[in-house]
Amino acid sequence: MIDWMGFVIVLFAALVGAVVVVGLYAFGLKMLVRAGRVPVVTPATFTDAITVLTPAEIKSAEKKAAKAARKNPLSAGQKRVALIAAYGSFVLCAAAVLFGIYLIVPALHGG
Amino acid sequence: MPVDITLIIVLVIALALFFDFTNGFHDTANAMATPIATGALKPKVAVGLAAILNLVGAFLSTEVAKTISGGIIREGDGGVLITPELIFAGLIGAIVWNMLTWLLGLPSSSSHALFGGLIGAALVGFGTGAIDFGVLLSKVILPALLAPLTAGLIAFAATKLAYGITRRYDGKPDGRSGFRYGQIFSSSLVALAHGTNDAQKTMGVITLALISVNLLGPDDGVPFWVVVVCALAIALGTYVGGWRIIKTLGTGLTDVKPAQGFSAETSTAATILASSHLGFALSTTQVASGSVIGSGLGRRGSTVRWGTAGRIAIGWLLTLPAAGIVGALAALVAHLGTWGVIIDAVVGVGTIVFIFLWSRRDQIGHHNVVSEVAASGEAVAIARKSKKKKVAK
Repeated sequence: MIDWMGFVIVLFAALVGAVVVVGLYAFGLKMLVRAGRVPVVTPATFTDAITVLTPAEIKSAEKKAAKAARKNPLSAGQKRVALIAAYGSFVLCAAAVLFGIYLIVPALHGG
Repeated sequence: MPVDITLIIVLVIALALFFDFTNGFHDTANAMATPIATGALKPKVAVGLAAILNLVGAFLSTEVAKTISGGIIREGDGGVLITPELIFAGLIGAIVWNMLTWLLGLPSSSSHALFGGLIGAALVGFGTGAIDFGVLLSKVILPALLAPLTAGLIAFAATKLAYGITRRYDGKPDGRSGFRYGQIFSSSLVALAHGTNDAQKTMGVITLALISVNLLGPDDGVPFWVVVVCALAIALGTYVGGWRIIKTLGTGLTDVKPAQGFSAETSTAATILASSHLGFALSTTQVASGSVIGSGLGRRGSTVRWGTAGRIAIGWLLTLPAAGIVGALAALVAHLGTWGVIIDAVVGVGTIVFIFLWSRRDQIGHHNVVSEVAASGEAVAIARKSKKKKVAK
């Protein structure tokens, strides 16, 4: 009666989904950094679950990012490849999410 | 008498929609606090987006609604005849318990309050034969216990992965703050997942009520208008509840990093969506809390504060039986006939109004400012590096 298989499917499907999405996004960020485009996103207000940066910390983070971009040892071509890999990774990540949603909506695939 | 039946059906639908509304109201903060804080989305946009995604999510599937309308309480041949009074009593139990825990700041689950209320009412009305314990165990109790663990495990793995991939050993910028942009999308997914699971619980209850008065056959699916009104109620609740988040800006307490938040939210959404697909009715709040704790453990140098974690777990376990008791009491009263139902309605509405007014007295406090999910992050202690952040008031 108890649908143990169902629990295993949920665990497995959710694990694969989360790992693929998080992995692709993280890889995209890594490539973005490699291409010398370090994203600096600076929250200035408090809310639940957010670590706030002080203005000094924000400045130092931006400085560090600019320095890393200047001192990037890669050639222009290598940077371009990294950037393409980054965007490719983000696109794949989005596609994985959309595919996941497609799978769970019966109306979309007639079953 | 048909007039009585119409009246009670209208009452049941109204109460169920009110429950749906409070559910959306209660849970907006879980999904949308993060993108508002990053400044990536303006509060109005974020709250509107959450409402729309809840609306869309409600249309995606009806598996969970079928669990409720067709599974837990035995109906028809060999079972019991569910009466609308019974569902009404169950809803009263669920709403009263939900409001009470919200007021006291106890971690609780709207979903389990709903099930507890219905089960308690059915037990009082018809004895143990009324409940299909196999379905109850398989579709409600076990998922309730397993889902937070599952989400925690997945969030743990995802967080490890996110940190592992972006880790740099040369001290150069790692780009992890880019996860904040990702959180716009991961929180949107959480809002969508919330709509697929929570709106359906109300659809299930309304469908059950319609079946009980033979407006629907026992094997009929969820009528489309029920889907529409439930989707609208949860979206409206989400939109209205969102304004509470804006007030909570400026009170952050837990220390969740962007990479961790992204991993936790993705894990939450993945777990809820997969469960909704298989018809498991689980508590979205519990899954999100499990993810926050799991992802906290996925960071380096973290330890569990077992005291806090234990308190959260006990609150979860208490919800089902406690709402059951309230539901059972309401069912006892409802058995008195029309007057019983009226007494139930008056007491229920009175409690809601009283709790609402009481809560306006002291609006800002730890329990109503920090969402339960964020509070669950406190169950994990993380070793800080050297600097101590100054918490501005």
